[in-house]
Amino acid sequence: MTVPSKPSLPLAALLSLIPLAPALAHTGSGVAVGLQSGLLHPITGPDHLVAMVAVGLWGAQLGAPAIWVLPITFPLVMAIGGLIGLAGVPLPLVEPVVALSGLALGLLIALHVRPPLWVAAVVVGVFAIFHGYAHGRELPGAADPTAYAVGFVVATGLLHLVGILIGVMVAWPAGARLVRACGAAIGCVGLYFLLASVGVLS
Amino acid sequence: MTTVTELRIRLRLALLAVVTLVGVLLPALPAAPHEASMAVITLREIAPGRYLGQWTMPPADPTLQPIFPAHCRWEPPELVCGERGLIGRLSFMGLGSTQSVATIRVIPRDGPMQAYTVSAAKPTAMAARDPGTDLAVWLDLAETYVNLGIDHILRGIDHLLFVLGLIWLTSSGWMLVRTITAFTVGHSISLAAATFGWVGIPEKPLNAAIALSIVFVGVEIVKLQRGEIGLTARYPWIVAFAFGLLHGLGFATALTNLGIPQATLPIALLFFNIGVEIGQLAFVFAVLALIWAHRQARAVLPRWGAALPAYAIGSIAAFWFLARV
Amino acid sequence: MRTKARLLAAATVAAALAAPTAAHAHLVDTRLGDFYGGALHPLTELDQLLPWVALAALAAFQGARRARWVIVAFPLALLAGGAAALLLPAPPFGPILGIGLVAATGLALAAAARLPLPVLIGLSTVMGLLHGLQNGQGLPASTDRLLFLAGATAAGYAVMTLATGGALAFLRGVGGWRPIALRATGSWVAAVGIMVLGLQFAAPATAG
Repeated sequence: MTVPSKPSLPLAALLSLIPLAPALAHTGSGVAVGLQSGLLHPITGPDHLVAMVAVGLWGAQLGAPAIWVLPITFPLVMAIGGLIGLAGVPLPLVEPVVALSGLALGLLIALHVRPPLWVAAVVVGVFAIFHGYAHGRELPGAADPTAYAVGFVVATGLLHLVGILIGVMVAWPAGARLVRACGAAIGCVGLYFLLASVGVLS
Repeated sequence: MTTVTELRIRLRLALLAVVTLVGVLLPALPAAPHEASMAVITLREIAPGRYLGQWTMPPADPTLQPIFPAHCRWEPPELVCGERGLIGRLSFMGLGSTQSVATIRVIPRDGPMQAYTVSAAKPTAMAARDPGTDLAVWLDLAETYVNLGIDHILRGIDHLLFVLGLIWLTSSGWMLVRTITAFTVGHSISLAAATFGWVGIPEKPLNAAIALSIVFVGVEIVKLQRGEIGLTARYPWIVAFAFGLLHGLGFATALTNLGIPQATLPIALLFFNIGVEIGQLAFVFAVLALIWAHRQARAVLPRWGAALPAYAIGSIAAFWFLARV
Repeated sequence: MRTKARLLAAATVAAALAAPTAAHAHLVDTRLGDFYGGALHPLTELDQLLPWVALAALAAFQGARRARWVIVAFPLALLAGGAAALLLPAPPFGPILGIGLVAATGLALAAAARLPLPVLIGLSTVMGLLHGLQNGQGLPASTDRLLFLAGATAAGYAVMTLATGGALAFLRGVGGWRPIALRATGSWVAAVGIMVLGLQFAAPATAG
């Protein structure tokens, strides 16, 4: 792992303040009530949250055509993950994979890796499927499934948008450095959750 | 030349918006003017803290029941509130679409009568002995009457049709602002005058005259389409002001029907008027937004259908006029 | 205009948040009577509002000359469907078709599909008829059906016109991101549609 550049340290400290508990109890956490719970769901799980911002950030860093392809295909791939969750197909290691994708995305941004588009698509796609899967598992328990789906879709879309808007800063040299720092911070959060989900950290 | 073409396009845009609105509203048209369905219960204090209740205007829905503060005991027709008297939260059970407004009138042994109006929009009212100093009572009053004003204009399809006609007759944004302002000034003046009892017109001829004002606007629109730029198209605010006076009298009937005590009359009038303006502005903006959207979509009426909406408005209003005479 | 649409969306979201039960109770009780009750009813049903907006944006991608037909066809179909509801029960395939339409319009919008005019009009008609039929069901006896129907149709006309006009104006602006933003919206709508559609099929399995 690379040493995060200076500005990322306070950022990482800041991110580490986000309450971490809910993420581990991701599936089956109580009754999801319509839109509200849908909206809050991706936001209260910091592992999902940072990974989602990272998706937007990376898209912006990669520039065209990734930034065009990503916001349109991500939801559809996510919906496939949702279907898998709905069908009750057991996917192994959901939380570790989500955490791993956060770590991977963070690293790729921090190192400014520019892989071919299909590689980027696979990395993001795996994350999209697992992310959708976690939501799909909760859908049948929602008070109003459509409202719940709309809620988390809106929240997810807004998180992407946040990432893309931060990513617009790559046009300036200082901004590009800041974007990479954000990537490093996201990688740290992903690492934390990866370790937590496999039981290394309690 | 271009201005005439521009005007034509504008008209056709407005026409389409209107024809759709009218088409949609047509089944909704009541033959009679809309009236607030009121229920009034009067409580007369017969001994300190003891009241005798009686419906002065029985509710349309017999299941409607007043709800009194917890320290009061309601055994119809008697209400016993003890030493504290009738203060606290008043409400009604069963307010809905058949019965939207209900009033509790309290006649104390000493002091003036007080009225508390409750609507589905504002389901509770606070009863207080002295509404002169209590801020909460004033806020309560404001909420009630602003809502009543909004409700009244939004349910009053005759007023809305007239405003629609005014929007149609004006050819520029600035002129529209002046016209709507003139209408507002006009109806505010007569609303106040009628509420204070300075002028009074029996309800039936008044409603017929309001219907006639809409017929007039319809005729003016048809004239404008034929290229006769008459007085109304040139100075629509004069027409708006004059007919505003008429429509204000109509608003006043609705307000006085609610039975407001003299003490709170000016303030109730003010809030009711504010509510009417809020509702009217919302309607104007909705129509403007629809016209804008039609323009964006280049969706205008075909030439052969351009006069239809004006005729539709005119005939509906003429029908009302006949029904109300 | 955009702010108005956004306000409307925000209001709907707020309403849905404030009263999650309101969406379930079939009738929205408004103080303004049955016309406004009918107007508000479809606006609180995401199953309807979502594909309406997606259809409007999809129409906008076809250009103004085609899009304007949606403004005519959709409200008329909504009215016809509502009138039919006075006589007919809701079709048993209603929920599946409704959600299928959400997914289909969302996907078409995400793909920015060029649709022949008859297909566009047909899509608007099917959606209008179905939603009209669904809106007219389960009304209490005290509801004035004509007023309710008129209100629902007015809402359909207003939403469709404003959304189509708004989307057209939005697309006319400068910037390659604009069509992408609209298509992304369609993609999200499609995602909701696909997942809820999956739920329709999976629900018996999970229940059993």
